[in-house]
This record gives sequence, C-alpha cells and structure tokens, in this order.
Amino acid sequence: MASLRAYVLTRILLTIPMIFILLTVVFLVMRVLPGNPVIAMVGMKASEEQIRQLMHQLGLDKPLWRQYLDYLSRVLRGDLGNSMIWGRRPVIDEIMDHFPATIELTISGFAVSVLLGIVTGTAAGLRRGTGLDLAMRVYSIVVYALFIPWLGMMLQYVFGVKLGWFPVGGRIGPMMEPEHVTGLYVLDSILTLNWGSLASALRYLTLPSLTLGVVLSGVYTRLVRTSLSEVLEQDFIRAARSRGVSERVVLFRHALKNAFIPILTMMGLQFALLLAGAVLTETTFSWPGMGTFLMERIIYRDFTTVQGTIVFYALFVALVSLVVDLIYAYIDPRIRY
Amino acid sequence: MRRRSGISRAAVGALIVVVLLILVGAYLAMRPSPAPTTAPPATTTGAPPTSPPAPKYADTIIIGVTDKVSDLDPAMAYDFYTWEVFNNIGEGPFKYKPGTTELIPGIIESYEVQEGGKVYILHLRQNLKFADGTPCTAQTLKWSIDRVARIQGDPAWFVLDFVNYTEVVDDYTLKIVLQQPVAFFPAVLAVPTYFPIPPDKYPADQVSSDNTAGSVGPYKIVKWVRDQELVLEANPYYYGEPPKTKRIIVRFYKDATSLRMALEAGEIDIAWRTLNPTDIQDLRGKPGIKIYENPGSFIRYIVINTNIPPFDNKLVRQALAAALNRQAICDTVFMGTTEPLYSLVPNGMWSHVDAFKEKYGDHNIELARQLLQQAGYSEENKLVVDLWYTTTHYGDTEADVAALIKAAWEETGMIQVNVHSAEWSTYLDLTRQGQLPVTLYGWYPDYIDPDNFLYPFLHTGSNRWLGEPYSNPDLDALLEQAQVELDQNVRAQLYQQIQQILAEDAPIIPIFQGKLVLAAKDNVQGIVLDPVMLLRYYLLVKLAEG
Repeated sequence: MASLRAYVLTRILLTIPMIFILLTVVFLVMRVLPGNPVIAMVGMKASEEQIRQLMHQLGLDKPLWRQYLDYLSRVLRGDLGNSMIWGRRPVIDEIMDHFPATIELTISGFAVSVLLGIVTGTAAGLRRGTGLDLAMRVYSIVVYALFIPWLGMMLQYVFGVKLGWFPVGGRIGPMMEPEHVTGLYVLDSILTLNWGSLASALRYLTLPSLTLGVVLSGVYTRLVRTSLSEVLEQDFIRAARSRGVSERVVLFRHALKNAFIPILTMMGLQFALLLAGAVLTETTFSWPGMGTFLMERIIYRDFTTVQGTIVFYALFVALVSLVVDLIYAYIDPRIRY
Repeated sequence: MRRRSGISRAAVGALIVVVLLILVGAYLAMRPSPAPTTAPPATTTGAPPTSPPAPKYADTIIIGVTDKVSDLDPAMAYDFYTWEVFNNIGEGPFKYKPGTTELIPGIIESYEVQEGGKVYILHLRQNLKFADGTPCTAQTLKWSIDRVARIQGDPAWFVLDFVNYTEVVDDYTLKIVLQQPVAFFPAVLAVPTYFPIPPDKYPADQVSSDNTAGSVGPYKIVKWVRDQELVLEANPYYYGEPPKTKRIIVRFYKDATSLRMALEAGEIDIAWRTLNPTDIQDLRGKPGIKIYENPGSFIRYIVINTNIPPFDNKLVRQALAAALNRQAICDTVFMGTTEPLYSLVPNGMWSHVDAFKEKYGDHNIELARQLLQQAGYSEENKLVVDLWYTTTHYGDTEADVAALIKAAWEETGMIQVNVHSAEWSTYLDLTRQGQLPVTLYGWYPDYIDPDNFLYPFLHTGSNRWLGEPYSNPDLDALLEQAQVELDQNVRAQLYQQIQQILAEDAPIIPIFQGKLVLAAKDNVQGIVLDPVMLLRYYLLVKLAEG
C-alpha cells in the first residue's frame, strides 16, 4: 500500500516538469509564429494607435521574458488568465463551456469503440482462420482507414437526411438543455430526471459517437483477436478445459480477463487519440466541444487560451493514464507498484 | 462439441447486444420527443393568432448559421453576425429601410445637423423601453456611447475617430459634437456600437460578453448557450410594430455541409450564412426548398504593394488588371453566387463606376501583353509574380481563386505566377509589414457609404494595414474633401474621380462582389436581403404546417 502511495506521488510530481516544459514550448511556439491576437482580430480596420493601445491592454508590448514570467507566476497561482480575443473571458470559463461536450462525446465514442472492438475481436479470435476471422480482419483495416468527416457525412446523409432518424448536427434539440449540473447533458438529464432532454441528448449523441467509435474500433478488433488467441493457446486454458470448466467460464473468466491487459494499455493510449479524433467529429457534427474551439483560437493567436487549454488537456491526459495504471494493478495481480 | 456451443453462445450474446442497441436507438429515434426538431413546439396553439382568419403562422422559426456570436456587448462586438443579432434585439439612432440602403430614423423621432455638419442634435422617441421595461432616455444613450469610448474595445474607433463629446440637453435630446464634419455620420450612427444598452445590466467599464439584457429592439434574448443556441422572443416593450414571429431560434453549425443537411433534414427552417457554392447549386430545384439571392456589399480584390519592385511600375500593375478573368472566377469557383466587380465601390451603390472595365475591359490578354512589352517583359524575360492567399479566413474556395488568377495571368505568356498560402494571422502580419507583394483580401463594410470602400484602402496612413502599399497626395486630398462635403452630388463626383484614379494607378484590383444567398423551406416568407447584409428576423413568417 505504501509503495502504491509512493508511486502515485511520484507520478504526480513528474507531471509538474512535464507541464512546465509543455507550457514553455507552447508559449514560445505561439509567439514565434507571425501575427498576434490584436492583428488577427482588428488588424484590417483599426488604426495604428488603436492597435498599440489594444496591445498595451493585453500586455503584448512588454518584452517576451517579462510576458513569460508574468504568465508563469499567474499559472502557479492557479490563474490561467483571460482570453485575448472577443470578450476576454477567463480561460477557465471558456474551457468549462466546451470541455463537458468533448468529454461526453469522447466517453460515448470510447464505449462504442471498445464494445465494437471486443465483439468483433472475440469473434475473430475464437474462430481463427475461418471466413468470419477474415471478415473481422478486413473490418478492422477498413474502419481504421476511414476518414472521420467522410464517415460522419455518410451517416448524416443516410440517418439524418434520408431516414430522418437522427439529427445531423448539434448537441441537443432546440430549447432542450437540461439544468446545469456537470455540463454532461446525458448525466444532467438523468440527475434532474428530465427524460425529454435525455432522449434528445441521446439522439444527438448517436451519430457522432458512432462515427468516432467505429473508426477507433479497428485497433481493438486486431488487438483482442491476437491477444485472445494467444491466451487461448496457453496451458492454463487447456488445464481449465481439461478440468471440465464450461467454455463460457473459460472464455469470460480466464481468457478474456487475461487478454485484457494489453487492451487496457491500448485504452489508455487511445484516450489521447480519441481527444484528437474528436476534433474532426466535432466539426462534422457541429459539436460545440474543445476541438473546434482550440483550432479557432490557434488561428486567431489567442495566446492565453491556447496555452491554458493545452495545459488543461495535458493534465487531463496525465490523470487518465494514471488511473489506467492503477486499474492494471487491480486487474493483474502480477503488477505491483 | 462443447467448444462449438460455447462459441455460438458468445456470438448469440454479441448479437443480442447489437440488436438491443439498435432497438434502443430506433425507439429513441421514433419516439415523439417533446420538442420535435421537424415541427417546433406549439406550432398552432398557445399564443393568440396574429392575423385573424386567413393564413396561420407558426410562432417559431429556426435559423441555422455557421457564424458565431462573439460578444453580446456593443462595446466589443465587431463582426457581421453579432451585429445582425444586435440589429434584431436593438436599434440605433438610424437604421436602414429593409430592402434598401436608405437610412431612416430609428430610436430618434427627428434630428438636426448644425455647424456645417459638426453637431448632431438627436431627438429621441419618448416611449423607448428595454426588454425589462426600464425606460431608455438621452442619458442612457450618452452612457452607452461614452462606455464604448471608455472600454476601448475592438469597435471603439466608431466613436473615438469621430466624436469629440456627447451632451444631454434634456431627457429626450442628445447632442453629439464631432471632431470635424463627417458627411456619412448618420451611417455611423446606425452601427450597433451606438445602440443604447441598459446601464443597470452592463458593467460601466468592462466588457460583458454573454450579457442577455439586450437593447430596445423588436426581440429580446431569452436563452443563450454559446456556440449552440440563441433563442429570441418578441420584446413586449418595443416601440414599433411587433415582430411577425414570436420566437426565433438560432442554431450554430460548424460547417456549411452540416448546415445544408440540417435544412434538408427539416431541423431548421432557414440556412443562412454561409452555405458553400456547391451546396447552393445542389439545393436549387429541391422540392420544398427555396433559394434567395441578392447582391451583397461584400467585395474581394487583389492588393499590390507598390513599394516592392517590379510592382512600383504602373505598367506592370495595369497589365495584371487587364489580364484578370473575373467572369471565370465567378462562374467556376462560385457558381454564379458572386458577380464581377470593376471598382472598389460595389455595384449598385451611388457613385459606382465600372472604372476598370472602361479602362481595361475584362480578360484583355492583348492589352496586357502590350503593357508588359512596354514595361520591358517578353516571353523569354517573364514577369515573376508571387501571389499570396489564405484559406483560414476566406474559405477553401480561395485556393481555386488563386489558381484561376494564375491561369489568366499566365495566359499572356509573359508572366510566371508562384502561388503561396499562409494562415490568416501570419498573412495579415506579413502584409502589414509590407513583405507580401501581391495578396488577396476581402472587405465587409462597416457602414454603407462609398467612403468605407475607398478611404481605408487608398488614403495614406489609413492603408497601414496593407503595409502602406500606395500613397498619392492628390487622391488623399480628394478623399478628405469627400468626407466633409455635405452635398451628396458633389461627393458622388469626387468619388467618381477617385475611382478613375484608382483604375489608372491600379494599386488594388477589384475581382468580384459577393451575393447574399439564403436557402429556406418554401413555407417561410418575409425574407428581405439587401446590401446592408442583415437578415431582419422580425419580418419573417412561416406558414403553419398542416
């Protein structure tokens, strides 16, 4: 137990230099690029004098080292600062406005991909060398190669325009937002017992999470297949079978659980990828999340928002990978920290 | 045997899961949701019918846009879409008569111009109220204008560049003293920067981006979820005719294709700014969908930095102006959703002359070759042009525009064009530093007056944003004179003269003028598009379905 605590502590402490390095790199890269938020926003229309004034307001006229130190000291105090464009809203508010949408999409896309991956991978792994196996392998390659906006548009066209089953874009129906609790509409609808909102939120969530989930499921299909067939050939499986343990117990209790370790590793890694894939899905489905938001702010050189968002992302990914590591220990008794 | 049965059980299990998922999905999809997207809530019930027996109008219209609302604060908002929202929830001293570019009094009953155009006395309507019922007086308007100057946000120049000070004469009279006479000041008074806002709802010296207090216009904001949805309802205290549709819902889309599909799927009634040319082409002739088109006052042009050789040579610039093939760009890239433009002043605006067409024609390769020869170029010794464009601001069509410009110029056989692209912020910054010789830009007017289409481009110092590519003292004098001249006929003559000089010197070559295109369900009426480029939600009606 003590060693586990030491491990968690070390991981958390290691996050600090990581964030510091990331922050410095992002700070420099954003400023090395030509252009700044004032030019990007009013560069065409405002006079020289007004541009100077706006730069002064934002502290962009100070020397770079000064801007950097000011920024660092603010971050250390837990203040991500204010956005530099539009209403100059606090960066943390901007993140809180967009992050729940991304998390909701990511979690459901993740669930779809894992579910699809395990089902198809198990089917292939259990029937190695058969036509089904071949079909599943082809499936995994094809979906992995799919371009998210293309798949999204096809689903929009078939299920949205032609069949009218699901909406083509947005996060929830007009005037259907549930009362704000967590910002995750599905969860908030359940918490506030708002079934109308829940139905609407799920309908809007279906196509985007299917798009994201299908594309990312290919990796799991292959992994589950390989991992499962390796495990199935091991002695303990043969021993279990010879003891007369039912095939279902062999599959679920022994084989899949052991095959799960590499899959779990992949889940941890995929999570960061999911956040990236979410950018394209968000754009295709007009999902008001972080991906499109961050892209827009990079274009307008909103220094503080980009820095803050990336730090936030990094912390989040670090947290997820820590949680995944802890789950290993729980699943695999051989792993001890 | 055992093994086989185990596998099939797993397969059956998986199958059941999949079937269940499909069933749940289908159930949710089929289930009549409380606010169906195809038919807005309370289509015919609820509010008393606005027009007694005849056509029944729906009380909700849903508009889809790919734009975003930046700041719901007149002191910071400086983009077309947010201004459109303000024009539906607020009103300034002046406004445009729908369907025209004619200015009419808005929240004022009358006004006087004194001291040769230097002083404006505004007499406010006495029954102006904000959406919460608090009255709006001269003090409120003064506070709102002074607040813009104090906050110094993006659009502050509308006040700082023109106004010396404001003074309350009485509760319903405001005096605005300008720094110098400005002929087009009523047009400036029509921008949302001059809209009154409630002082008890907006902080005095801070921007309030998500403020839903609104102004004194036909609608008020009842719901605002950033990047998702904006819900407007009729403002019961509006002084004028109440809006024809009680509720307007604006849904925000991230790309044009989703916007178009949302219209086809019936999720929205109107697909507004901005559809792709290809999507518009596709939607034409689709049953149940109607396309509306009208020339806008949004212009596109080529900027040549005359400080960079060989573009300091007038003959070179003239050759580029002559060879340009505007029609090909409008037809091929924009599929007829734009029209060729031969001046910086848009077609249809007073004082407009087709100066470039008169001087060079269009796609006049012969003339271009002659001019290039005079400038010392030949097929062996080609003029090399570095043409820059950006897709981050002007969209993916920009690469095609650049390709067609290159094609037309290279048709002379005496020009070699190298095309480069950069990201918006980089592009603007490099242009500003005077590093890019030939660039593509576009302009959305701030106020509808020829001044706004000429002065910022041609007046020395004002075109600093283009890297000060051009300076002509004679032209400066004419531009300054036209700004203070109050007689519109004299101004028109001055602007025509300016346009001729522009065509002769060709530091900027106009390409095309955008059309406003909107696609709507065919039961939507009251859509008025005009060069002011604002959609008036309060004029829209939708025939109730069924």
